[in-house]
Amino acid sequence: MKRWLIPALLALLAALALYPIGATGYGIRVMLQLFMWITLAQSWNLISGLTGYVSFGHVAFFGMGAYTTAILVAKSGWPWLPASLAGGVMAMVLAVVIGWPCLRLKGPYFAIAMLGLNEVLRVAVSYFEGLTGGGSGLSMPALDASVRIYYAMGLSALGVTALTWRIVTSRFGLRLMTIREDEVAAEAMGINTFRYKLYAFLLSAVGAGIVGGLAARDQGYIEPISVFPLVTTITMIVMVLFGGKGTIWGPVLGAVLLFTLQELIWARFPSAHPLLMGAIIVAVVLAMPRGILGVLQMRYNLPRTI
Amino acid sequence: MAVLLWRFAGAVALVALLGTAPAEAQAPIKIGASLSLTGTYGKIGTYQKEGYELCADDLNAKGGLLGRKVEVVVYDDQSMPATGVRLYEKLITEDKVDAVMGPYSSPITEAVANVTEKYQKVMVTPLAATTSIFKKGRKYVFMIISPAEVYLEGLIDMAAKRGLKTVAIVNEDTLFAKTAADGAAELAKKKGLQVVLKEAYPKGNTDFSAVLTKIKALNPDVVAGSTYFDDAVAIIRQMRELDVNPKMLGVTVGGDLPEFYDVLKKNAEFVYGATQWDESLPYPGAKEFAAAFKKKFKHGPSYHAAAGYAGCQTYAEGVRRAKTLDADKVRTELLGLKMRTAFGDYAVDQDGFQTAHKMVTLQWQDGKIHIVWPDELSNGKARFPTPPWNQR
Amino acid sequence: MLGQVVISGLLAGALYAMVALGLGLIFGVMRVLNVAHGPLLMLGAYTTFWLFHFLGLSPYLSLLVSMPALFLVGAVLQRFLVRRVVDAPELSSLLLTFGISIAVVNLAQLAFTSDLRSVEYLTGSFRLGPFAFSKSRVIACAAAALITAAAFFFLKKTRVGKAIRAVSQSREVAQVCGIDVQRIHLIAFGIATALAAAGGTLVSVMIAIQPEMGQVYTFKSFLVIVLGGAGNYPGALLGGLLLGLIEQLSSLFLTTQVNEAVAYVLLVLVLLVRPTGLLGGRAS
Repeated sequence: MKRWLIPALLALLAALALYPIGATGYGIRVMLQLFMWITLAQSWNLISGLTGYVSFGHVAFFGMGAYTTAILVAKSGWPWLPASLAGGVMAMVLAVVIGWPCLRLKGPYFAIAMLGLNEVLRVAVSYFEGLTGGGSGLSMPALDASVRIYYAMGLSALGVTALTWRIVTSRFGLRLMTIREDEVAAEAMGINTFRYKLYAFLLSAVGAGIVGGLAARDQGYIEPISVFPLVTTITMIVMVLFGGKGTIWGPVLGAVLLFTLQELIWARFPSAHPLLMGAIIVAVVLAMPRGILGVLQMRYNLPRTI
Repeated sequence: MAVLLWRFAGAVALVALLGTAPAEAQAPIKIGASLSLTGTYGKIGTYQKEGYELCADDLNAKGGLLGRKVEVVVYDDQSMPATGVRLYEKLITEDKVDAVMGPYSSPITEAVANVTEKYQKVMVTPLAATTSIFKKGRKYVFMIISPAEVYLEGLIDMAAKRGLKTVAIVNEDTLFAKTAADGAAELAKKKGLQVVLKEAYPKGNTDFSAVLTKIKALNPDVVAGSTYFDDAVAIIRQMRELDVNPKMLGVTVGGDLPEFYDVLKKNAEFVYGATQWDESLPYPGAKEFAAAFKKKFKHGPSYHAAAGYAGCQTYAEGVRRAKTLDADKVRTELLGLKMRTAFGDYAVDQDGFQTAHKMVTLQWQDGKIHIVWPDELSNGKARFPTPPWNQR
Repeated sequence: MLGQVVISGLLAGALYAMVALGLGLIFGVMRVLNVAHGPLLMLGAYTTFWLFHFLGLSPYLSLLVSMPALFLVGAVLQRFLVRRVVDAPELSSLLLTFGISIAVVNLAQLAFTSDLRSVEYLTGSFRLGPFAFSKSRVIACAAAALITAAAFFFLKKTRVGKAIRAVSQSREVAQVCGIDVQRIHLIAFGIATALAAAGGTLVSVMIAIQPEMGQVYTFKSFLVIVLGGAGNYPGALLGGLLLGLIEQLSSLFLTTQVNEAVAYVLLVLVLLVRPTGLLGGRAS
């Protein structure tokens, strides 16, 4: 099985790399979004899938990255690539600020704290309006960089997936999963659960921050409502649950499948979109807790770390 | 022999040319747009769509544009700028539409304008009221409605003329509302009114009791709200509950919708609102437009529908004068165009920013909207001052 | 001005307390964080609206309808969905209720449209010297206080109530004592939903009704639970009043915008300094 896997992957990567040559502006944008979702799903997976701590406000990191990048580009004239990376860094900083107090708590309390995070960031954006433009949003000079951003997003998706693979197959990952399964036992074994949770949280924020910055640049204009929408968190969560949380390829699978589903259904029934997402979450939690990948793992006896 | 061959080839070529040319001329002109058909702006985006559709019908009834039928292609951007951006890319690069029209709301227009400028497509943006969109050096965007800054101009002007001295301003913290509030504050200062309070509230806020308590303590002559619909309703209700009695109370968006009175009933009396258009205004063809609209859509047109209609008609006029769809030629025509439609006056400066259209102020009197400002367009007198709640 | 604001805060607080009590019940008894609490409140509000719209039924009388109706809805949700994740890791129940919440909101959007509705029933205010209090808020507070008092009476004096408290303290021991834990779970969830519905009914007269109106109450209820102490039912009362007060005061001294941030900072502070809440509850 492994023999054809690597060449197949390489072929896919090559195809994706060559895609922009023949594609339309719209096609590039669509794929770029897909890469963004893969990155976001993988990021969420790092904290919530591996450690079991549900991050309901994860889009906050996306928004943080978006605003950091937008401010750097619009106010200080930074080029978009360093600005996006800076976005990732700021997202990490936010993760430390939030994680430090909140990760000391147990699961449910952490979830509650994350639930409100989104709103607070929106308030902060409004408050510092001199910097962020407040409710009016921020506009960046027009730039036609869709193709370059496509590659950047693709690399992000690749990067986060590789990171996940590295973590899942390492002792660090094992410790995270121990925390997920039984935190008290993990502590009894001497694992400093707080530290590990924090690391996972930081890592989960970086990816989201970077693609937040890239997405902001691609759009050219951001406003609080559009970069901190609840629906982004919902979609991230559904993608990971659907694909298989705590795995390497689960989020990728979930992102691709759901994105495609979204494109097909959303075009026809836009108003029932959240209902579908909610129904999928309920169905997956009750019937398919390990996602599609979990089902496949059992059926075809796939290795654990997939 | 060679001559015959050449003549034959010439004849074939001629026939081929004749054969293809008419077929091309018959292909309809596709005008694309993404509108907010669902999501927060869903209701109004739909009105705008209706405006576009009626315009296409009218154009086709009069023989089309440049001899071709007009077809409007509309996608739903779900009230989100990111979606709008994607859809315009799709319309331009995949659907290959001949022309584009603007979406609903300033944020979405701002985001989408980057795309249309990239592909150098003329875009008339009927429902974008924020000045900054048009002051970024863009070449192909054209404004139709009056800018946000003047929404409250009528209220402030009437207050100044009646010698009122103090005004409190509250606004939703979003692009349009902030701009309108800032504009109102500037105007107030210019006309000698003192702004005693200017506070923003987050979008979706429902509890105004604290800020209204502050306002009550300050007792300003005028309260100006730069709002959308939900907040306008909540503010008025809570003003009544807390017994806040300014001499004039005005809101912006939402105050002109019939639903405003349906929900507030008598509490809506004496409230001033702002609108870009009303069918009672003395513009040529306004009543006919309203009648035709009601016939097709079974409900009256809001100003958004009228603006959409006017925007599309303005673009058509630009194309007619340029005699082509070429963006640069149409742009030249639109820049120099001056006309008055059923919607009002149109004239733009070199950035495409609207300079001629007039915003009007209305007041609810006995369950009906009366235009009370400016004088040359009004059909009623303002009822002033607004009596305190407990005397109604 | 200060006095007005303080009393406004207490009025709002009673309502928060009642709704939060519902959430607290679910958490205390089943260790489930019901993210769908807000949407259930919203359903209560819509029930009142439709009864008012079609039958002209007074919103306060509709309490007699919305509470039992939503009790049933809650019971159904519990029996068929929530029950299956009570023993699963917390992630599952969180995600499940989260999924339910977005589904319910969207269903409401499809069925009722996002158009704003309102119940124009009681406008105007009671005057007491320099203070003016919106009539609907005062009555809401009174009703909430009554219902909450009834709930406490139920918990303290009745057999089922005591059983609920027993299960909150220790499920295993309660089972050993012969309590039908499954039934208690069902009843507790139903009561919690009924309390949310009551909140929705009372609030429907005051604010605009639309499908997303409940979300903010979910977060506030969580906040109250944290403030008062998880699993500590009287704590919900204190927490609710406190939240109401703090909100109004911060609106006065700061601006309305910063309101939500204040609530949040408060949450994080309490979690850090005294995670068991003001009156002491379970920290984990």
